[in-house]
Amino acid sequence: MKKLLFLLVGLLCLAFLPQHSFSQSQTISGKITDAAGNPVGGASIVIKGTSRGTTTDAEGNFKLAVTPNSTVIVTSAGFVARTMKADDLGMDARIRLEEDVAHLDEVVVTGLTTTVKRRNLANAVATISAKELNEGAPAGTLDAALEGKIPGAYINANSGSPGGGVSVKLRGVTSVYGNTQPLYVVDGVFVDNTATSAGLNAVTLSEAGGAPTGNQDNPSSRIADIRPEDIENIEILKGASAAAVYGSRAAGGVIIITTKRGRPGRTKVTFSQDLGDIKVRKLLGVRQFTAATAASLSSDSATSVALAQEFTAAKSAGHIYDYEKEIYGNTGFARNTLLSVTGGTEKTGVYFSVATKDEGGIEKNTGYNNTSFRLNVDQKVTDNIKLGVYTNYINSSADRGLQGNDNVGVTTGISLSSTPDFAQLHPDAQGNYPDNPFAAANPLQTIALMRNNEGVNRLITGAKLEAILQKSRVSQTKLVGLGGIDFYNLETQLLFPAVLQWQAINKGTSIEGMTKNLNTNYIASVVNTLTPSDKLSLTTSAGLTQETGNYNNLLNVATQVIAGQSNVNQAGALNATQLRTKYQNNGIFLQEEANIADILLLTAGGRLDESSNNGNVGHYYFYPKAGLSWNLTKMGWLNADWIDNFKLRAAYGQANNVPAYGSKFTALSISNIAGNPGVLVNSQEGQPNIEPERQEEFEAGADFSMLKGRLGFELTYYSKIIDNFLMQASLPGSSGYASEWVNAGNLRNRGVELGMNARPVQTRNITWNTSMNFWLNRSMVTKYTIPPVPQGSFGYVLGSFQIQQGQSATQIVGLDGTGGVSKLGDAEPTFQMSTYNEVTFFNHLSLRFLLHWKQGGQNVDLTTLENDFGGTAADYDKVTNKLGVPNGLYRVMQVGVDAHEFVQNSGYVRLREIGLYYSITHTGIDAVKGLRLGVSLNNYLTFTKYPSYDPEVSNFGTGFSTGVDVDPYPASKRAAFHLAVDF
Amino acid sequence: MLLGWVLTLGACKKDFGDLNEPTVQSFTSNATVAELNNLVSGTESGLRNNLALYLDDVGIIGREMYHFSNSEPRYVTDLLGASGATLSGSNFYIANTWASRYQVIKNCNILEEAATSTSLISPQEVSGYLGFAQTIKAYQLLMCLNQTDSNGIRVDVSDPNDLGPFVGPTAALAAISGLLDSAATNFANATIDYTLAGFSSYSDAAGLLQVNRALAARVDVYQSNWAAALTDLSASFFSLQGDLTAGVYDVFSTGSGDQLNTFFIPQNQTGEIRVAHPSYAADIEAGDDRIGKATLRTAVASLDGLSSNRDVWVYTSSTAPIPIVRNEELVLIYAEANIQNNDLNDGVTALNVIREAHGLAAYSGAMTSAALLTEMLNQRRYSLYCEGHRWVDMRRYGLLGTLPIDRPGDQVWTEFPLPVSETP
Repeated sequence: MKKLLFLLVGLLCLAFLPQHSFSQSQTISGKITDAAGNPVGGASIVIKGTSRGTTTDAEGNFKLAVTPNSTVIVTSAGFVARTMKADDLGMDARIRLEEDVAHLDEVVVTGLTTTVKRRNLANAVATISAKELNEGAPAGTLDAALEGKIPGAYINANSGSPGGGVSVKLRGVTSVYGNTQPLYVVDGVFVDNTATSAGLNAVTLSEAGGAPTGNQDNPSSRIADIRPEDIENIEILKGASAAAVYGSRAAGGVIIITTKRGRPGRTKVTFSQDLGDIKVRKLLGVRQFTAATAASLSSDSATSVALAQEFTAAKSAGHIYDYEKEIYGNTGFARNTLLSVTGGTEKTGVYFSVATKDEGGIEKNTGYNNTSFRLNVDQKVTDNIKLGVYTNYINSSADRGLQGNDNVGVTTGISLSSTPDFAQLHPDAQGNYPDNPFAAANPLQTIALMRNNEGVNRLITGAKLEAILQKSRVSQTKLVGLGGIDFYNLETQLLFPAVLQWQAINKGTSIEGMTKNLNTNYIASVVNTLTPSDKLSLTTSAGLTQETGNYNNLLNVATQVIAGQSNVNQAGALNATQLRTKYQNNGIFLQEEANIADILLLTAGGRLDESSNNGNVGHYYFYPKAGLSWNLTKMGWLNADWIDNFKLRAAYGQANNVPAYGSKFTALSISNIAGNPGVLVNSQEGQPNIEPERQEEFEAGADFSMLKGRLGFELTYYSKIIDNFLMQASLPGSSGYASEWVNAGNLRNRGVELGMNARPVQTRNITWNTSMNFWLNRSMVTKYTIPPVPQGSFGYVLGSFQIQQGQSATQIVGLDGTGGVSKLGDAEPTFQMSTYNEVTFFNHLSLRFLLHWKQGGQNVDLTTLENDFGGTAADYDKVTNKLGVPNGLYRVMQVGVDAHEFVQNSGYVRLREIGLYYSITHTGIDAVKGLRLGVSLNNYLTFTKYPSYDPEVSNFGTGFSTGVDVDPYPASKRAAFHLAVDF
Repeated sequence: MLLGWVLTLGACKKDFGDLNEPTVQSFTSNATVAELNNLVSGTESGLRNNLALYLDDVGIIGREMYHFSNSEPRYVTDLLGASGATLSGSNFYIANTWASRYQVIKNCNILEEAATSTSLISPQEVSGYLGFAQTIKAYQLLMCLNQTDSNGIRVDVSDPNDLGPFVGPTAALAAISGLLDSAATNFANATIDYTLAGFSSYSDAAGLLQVNRALAARVDVYQSNWAAALTDLSASFFSLQGDLTAGVYDVFSTGSGDQLNTFFIPQNQTGEIRVAHPSYAADIEAGDDRIGKATLRTAVASLDGLSSNRDVWVYTSSTAPIPIVRNEELVLIYAEANIQNNDLNDGVTALNVIREAHGLAAYSGAMTSAALLTEMLNQRRYSLYCEGHRWVDMRRYGLLGTLPIDRPGDQVWTEFPLPVSETP
């Protein structure tokens, strides 16, 4: 295969003439500044119609040899490009660049190795800048920092546990049982985002069946390892029309992360320190007991009397406790330190950073720390060859507590739910905890003595090689190769010592997990840009891609652990499980872009993909894409002064989602008895002919900007069709199988995304930049070939998802109180809106805030029910229901009759981030070039009627069933102080 | 050129196979004795999947016990029919038990396919495997039928893509009986190559035949075939004077890949507990040692309007075995068949074996078949407590209406609905 690549390169080389040189007769030079007069370093000045040009140094100075009558184009990220006659510039030009409020000149990735300006883009591609990511009120981890910033996305935290873990869905659900999460690409490396369970299911039995792991274990997602501070920008390709070139793994969209690069100029050293505290966002409150309500906890008369006495005794001794507050009321201290060095010469650019953070949780003995190291080096090997190597080492550790659903009553939330305020759970002077007579576990004891740690050592290295193979006045051919490796070792440790109340049977459990994962990928392509005239430019790219993954998880579950020990061999019984997955996807792509006088941009391309996960491994599936953008202003049709740019665009593309590894096999699992090795057929029937899901997306829109770029709009409509979506179809239980993978039907997502960028105020002293986004998505199952059954929750009694023809894919159905089953809600929000604002006073003081409104959408809230069931809900004794009984009792009575009570609206308006920053550019000290101070609040203000801890919750992990709420680790809020010094 | 790449890349195609587990295909192509034995042990092991839940289902609806769980309300709501709640076919209490039983049946079918298709074993060895597979299938089908009763079960499930129809209890019992008979024929001329864990001395062909007949006797009384029951008992390990605990069991261990008895919960736990229905102690005769199956708690446990001061203490460790069929049940079947045949003296003899074994005086009640049946059911209640019989027995005799109701609005279910996966 590699031989072929060289052959291809050779052929292409032969096809073009040798390099052509031409004379220069004039030199221009000058300085480039922003609107406020600050120098713009790293700006590029290119002679139009050629690839020749230069970049400015740190002081904004440049010098360039030009031929007479040529035109130059000045560009810099974040500014509106300017086109000027070289002859007018002379030797001391002063070029002022306006900030690009509408982002028209932003360069956006459209191919695997090609880019276009947003001005010409056929898709709505969302971008998140470093500033939006880090300079508002930064969240703890990268995944959490994306919330509210991507129009078209629906993001939910799996739980509030330190260390992250979110579910991201771009433009609706794209799969039911397949992968719904986007592909993350960091500097060309397809990074792994597998959520690996630590084996909590072995103790919580939240999912029956005896497997030690389950999707209710709320592990973190591995994308949380990446440091937000290292990121230059993030581009989000939301569907197949933009992401088709990413092929096999792009069906959930692609999130392209580009980290910071060193630019020519003075070396800049930045030291930044954040300090903050983390507190619980909301507590539910607890029931205030009286002797009478204490007595009512039991129906046995003798016990009732005893309970009432217990209450009275506790009350008179002053031993009434709010355990919820005691447990979740911890203030976690957060610190984050970053040292970065960036700089470079004409030939070499270097970005280096080392960073460490440590954060406590709202529950004792939980927290997160992350230490990372990054080195990005770009080197011009020759005038024609550029090489970049981007390396990131991460060490992170998260202590996540024991939370969420379980079937033995031991997680913090579940054990709290039945513990009244007069229970006595505190340890004696020797540190011995009493048993909790009201629950299977004493949560204070569990929190104090257990451990649930995830430790990661990870190395991500990406490389990019660009070699100009041929260059002439009209044509340039480049070889672009990029790729890399993502390797991590994840160690999970669970330790529940024998002394815990609920370890009476297992007599101590230690679960040690070791996961090794290696992902590799490369893209090798040849890109030719042909510019036959000023009015036409053709970019052709073609190449090969390959991605491989090799995941190996070894989990040892030891019980009857020797006191004080955690090694799994220090135990009476040991069970090991191992899970391996391995895949290889190969692809071939070809793409052609034609830019006609910046008026019309036409893109067409296609991809052929094979995957080892498909039923037919050698079969290539074809996925086409096409796009069109038509600039009306450049055509001269709209010549009003107030309108700068008006563009119509449309794009179409297809992508696939490969089946899960192993879905083609009917396997047998180990099932031993008394030392006899046995095998028992799996509950999942294999599907040897399984096909990938095919996603087809069409989007169309209009972008316009006016008032010299101070106001821009982006309007997009999309329709995304998923054909042959994969279902783990329930088989009749009597077949001996619970489920099989089938390509079961088609589903459709349609939606609208409206964006606005504006600078409403621009005076000498005050600048206000604002962006506002509105988006909504509607899904519908258009074809469904298997019988609808409840999925992904607890059945009709408590509200459940159900795929059904003609219905929304995320509908929630349940018992409707009249003896039937009907639709009670939908996880899909009615719409979402967010606005990001930055107001700068006197160039030094900036106020930034992000407001996010999610209207509608339902969760399956079982946290409240658990508290009712345990008799501890704060409003248990209130009577506001139609039966005139206490509310808690009323809600319990709804179980099995009416599930409305458990399907709750999870809309909210949230001030996600607000930060106030002051920056000083002249400190009076020579060595200190700049100083920034700031304070910020994250998630401090939320308006919601949602009864449980947080409407943004997804305890059942990153799959399809978003928004199930069963006693999660409560969400937190953070306040922080920021200091950054530039040297 | 593109076409050229495609053709060449075709050679790069990778299929990594299943890296984690053996596949069915590997077992059904000329299986070795070792592979067949793996299937046998897996089948025996699989009998235990969701067995605790089955015992919960039958025990809770039969008012033998409560399962209090702070995390799972449906044990005390749905299963007890609280506040007008209904049993739902989408819920774990039927879906999981049903699926586990049919999973074992599927494993038996794979075993039969593997044993009949391999050329590596003798016809007698084939019979040994078939006898085991058919006996276990019959036992598993009977457990499903116990739950769904008049809603029926599917008997023919050999082709997962073309499942046989649902049949009602009469036809289902006939089919189960037929399977057991077919297995008995196989065992009559079989060589046993495999080792079973919980079958103790009944592991050879003769012993397995005895176990098979013991199960057949259970099916006979469900069919009211009293004469057949007595015939089958005589071919089983039934012994009027023998050890009442003799029999075959599901056994548990802490070994790797093995299972623990999840029905076991230590005494006096809080939170997740199984407690005896108050009527168990209230109705027991004085001096009956079977009170030891429900030991007094140090504190009364209560949940959602229910309470009990006794733990279920039938399985006293996490490796305590759970009976599949044992002599005490056979003695009671003997009593039942004789009483029904109007051989009241033989019936009383058997009942007295049970009574005396548990510290009670000989039966002194009326010598009528009605009184003796009541006594027989009472002895079954205490002897087979929490072994999965009470609810089925009360239904057989049309006595579900006599089971105690603990809360206003509670109901006693006669059967489970079919799992939702079966009723598109």
